[in-house]
Amino acid sequence: MEHGIPTWSFDLFGIPIVFELATSMMIIITCLLIFFTLFFMTRKLAVRPTGKGQVLVEALMNFVKGIIKSNMAWKEGAQFHFLALTLFLFILIGNLIGIPLSFVAPDADHTLWVKSPTADPVVTLTLAGLMIVLTHYYGVKMQGMRGYLKQYVTPMWWLAPIKFIEEFTYNLTLGLRLYGNVYAGEILLLLLLGLVTGGTVLGALGFIPMMVWQGFKVFIGAIQAFIFVMLSMVYLSHKVSDDH
Amino acid sequence: MNLLAAGIAAGLAALGASFGIGMVVSKTVEGVARQPESRGPLQTIMFIGIGVVEAVPIMAIVIAFLLMFTF
Repeated sequence: MEHGIPTWSFDLFGIPIVFELATSMMIIITCLLIFFTLFFMTRKLAVRPTGKGQVLVEALMNFVKGIIKSNMAWKEGAQFHFLALTLFLFILIGNLIGIPLSFVAPDADHTLWVKSPTADPVVTLTLAGLMIVLTHYYGVKMQGMRGYLKQYVTPMWWLAPIKFIEEFTYNLTLGLRLYGNVYAGEILLLLLLGLVTGGTVLGALGFIPMMVWQGFKVFIGAIQAFIFVMLSMVYLSHKVSDDH
Repeated sequence: MNLLAAGIAAGLAALGASFGIGMVVSKTVEGVARQPESRGPLQTIMFIGIGVVEAVPIMAIVIAFLLMFTF
């Protein structure tokens, strides 16, 4: 079950820059989906909500608020509210968008066009790196350079190298956890799909484990989005708040 | 040979992860049984713990995929 990856590349001063077309397309689709859904859900805002849209968005906002509140004081955490909401929605929809459909182009490479954007290590490691860089930025901004550097030498000065390496470990584990979960799920889905479309009579029963796995993948996708946002906020609170 | 290596890596990773996650969840269940009112915070901490535990076997799975497909 080898699937080709559609790419488009050009040379920038001798350095090849490669675009993965399927991942890029699915990122754009995910972003448009989230934007228009939330846009039309929040057009008619009222103190007493009339439709289902506003209630759902409010529940989502409260959920993300709860994540932030469990890590830091709301006084300093309020500015991360929309950041966390955006991150959560992108990862959640990105995880879920690869489940219901699968499109394999009928060419020699079996090019796979519809997949989760988060089933790509570049995307998840970029998101993780973005969050780690933001923790450093807000650490310096809210604690000052002195307070930021002081965190590396507390509680013991000789722990500084370990704390330095820890930053890279955070980045790696945060990105690879999401990627591994989504990618392993997609691989299994494609294997089951190959079983179903394989043509044998027994293989046609493969739609039962496939449905079970799709249901489980919805659960995994939601949990992974939650864990990603939660751990980002935990790392942010290490840098931002001074009580611990 | 690569397939064997990938299988061993994935199997050992699954073994370790299941032990680790089992311990995390069982301790959480104990905590909830003692103090049912702290169920919400404990669940949050449990999910963070599971996430941290899960990172290592997922890396092993990625290595297994690398062994299968690239080398």
